[in-house]
Amino acid sequence: MSAASVTELPPQVTRPRKVRRPLRGSLLFALMVAVAVVMLYPFWYMIDTSLLSETSFLNGTGGHSLASWRALGATLPWQQQLGNSTIVCLLSISIILVCSTMAGFAFAKLRYPGATIVFLAIIAALLIPVQSIVIPAYVDVANWHLLNSYTGAVLMYSAIGTPFATFLMTAYYRSLPDELLEAGVMDGLSYPAIFVRIALPMSVPALATIFVLQFIQIWDDLLIGLLFLQNVNERTITVGLGALAAGRTTNIPVLMAGSLVSALPAIVVFLVFQRFLVNGLTAGIGR
Amino acid sequence: MTQTILADLPPAPTRPRRTGHHRRRGLVGLAMSLPAFALVGVMLGWPMIQAFYYSMTSWDGITATWIGPSTYTHEFHDPAFWRVLQNNLLLLVAIPVALAIPMGIAFLLDTRVFGWRLFRSAYFLPTAISWVVIGMVSERFFAAQGQLNSLLSAIGLGFITTNFLSGERTALLAVALTFIWSMIGTNMIIFLTGMATLDPNLAEAARVDGAGGWQTFLRITVPQLKRFIQFALMMTLISAFTALFSLIFVMTSGGPGYGTTTLEFFVYQTAFEQGDFGTGAMLGVILFVIMATVGIVQVRLLRTDD
Repeated sequence: MSAASVTELPPQVTRPRKVRRPLRGSLLFALMVAVAVVMLYPFWYMIDTSLLSETSFLNGTGGHSLASWRALGATLPWQQQLGNSTIVCLLSISIILVCSTMAGFAFAKLRYPGATIVFLAIIAALLIPVQSIVIPAYVDVANWHLLNSYTGAVLMYSAIGTPFATFLMTAYYRSLPDELLEAGVMDGLSYPAIFVRIALPMSVPALATIFVLQFIQIWDDLLIGLLFLQNVNERTITVGLGALAAGRTTNIPVLMAGSLVSALPAIVVFLVFQRFLVNGLTAGIGR
Repeated sequence: MTQTILADLPPAPTRPRRTGHHRRRGLVGLAMSLPAFALVGVMLGWPMIQAFYYSMTSWDGITATWIGPSTYTHEFHDPAFWRVLQNNLLLLVAIPVALAIPMGIAFLLDTRVFGWRLFRSAYFLPTAISWVVIGMVSERFFAAQGQLNSLLSAIGLGFITTNFLSGERTALLAVALTFIWSMIGTNMIIFLTGMATLDPNLAEAARVDGAGGWQTFLRITVPQLKRFIQFALMMTLISAFTALFSLIFVMTSGGPGYGTTTLEFFVYQTAFEQGDFGTGAMLGVILFVIMATVGIVQVRLLRTDD
């Protein structure tokens, strides 16, 4: 009855797409639940398996226990590696943020002859796959004696993240009105002061977008960490886990516990910054 | 992409007033853009130039001996190279699927089904997980004693059960399926963002004209989403060719044989497992040329639209 009267309304009532037929609605809901099962299954599998001991995993007998969690520390120095991941992520993201905000502000508001060429040179680096430069870069960094510290990996991550961040920041500062800049000049502020005191505080959403994009990318990376963090004590958690997995460790429950530990910080950052991640993923679409 | 970005830049002032004020502004701008330029130039730009040079040498990472462009023709006669490239081409087949599934999911979520916000987060969540973790779970899933085989047996398809990771083609299929699964979140978000920009009156008009749901979707929704589909296609293609290293490293190590070795993995294997840095650099250059060509074609396609 009510459904019939709604359909007779003029089409100005937009978003009339809400499914009104109960059977179709339930079917759709069931389908969505099925997709959710497929998408979330790995999480359940990791939790379930990590709660088995190695023998009960192999034999399919015995109940759940914390045995594999207790054994985790002996296989994977996860506290140290979580610390390493955090240090590498924060250092790299700091460098990316400093370089990209300054450059973005310059390209948007402090134009100089040749600025477009410098801008395009930085953006063109987006076309370079990491694998194409990783061999010469590895040898360069080795020659600079930086393979045995965080420095080499941090420099690589920073350089890889900077082009897209610069693109985002340039677009963001472009959207700020020039009057803000002029008002700062009137107040006797220097250009760097205008950048730090006026532009930077206004760009917190863009900074959050870059932070979450880069955090997930760097936290989850294997290739750069594997090659540029030669000191085992400086390995990130993803590299530690990757090395274990490729070593064909047979203790799957312990590996799954390690996987959960490595995934948790990225999941937390993801949940907190989800909105900004969506912005970042769709920022490259031309308008 | 560069085309659209170029349009974003403000036009250079037509009549630059050469006052001290403006000169200082330009100098500050130059100084502020230098760190980003230097970082990208030293860590990415210079190694790219080095890669071109070293691709024509015999190089073990320490001493390089010049050979010349013949290194390329030599590589093109190596059957292993074509075998690897074939894997890349086969992965291309996964791309339409990796677009169609999230497109369907986004369309259903856009009907505001009960609990759609929660579903959206659940489908997007795997985006936070590393390829290493995904690869480990996936390896178990496709293993001889894995869940896929149990599932197949349970539904009466026991005769297809196999150790998926031990056959060249089935291993590549397993990698492709894992890849499709992990692209669902990102592509769904791109399409949902696109659907939020749609003009609901157009779909309504089509319905009034008697078009069914499917027809409305194909004739009205999809054409309006063209920009977003192009973007998702580009991101998926880049991921397929340059982001699967960790997945392959953990899941199959490129095997069995060359079964799951893609060009990007071949770069790593050649340089860091076989110590042939020169050939590795050359494979990297070939990968760069392929990706740059794709990028330029993309820019051209976008330009003809304007």
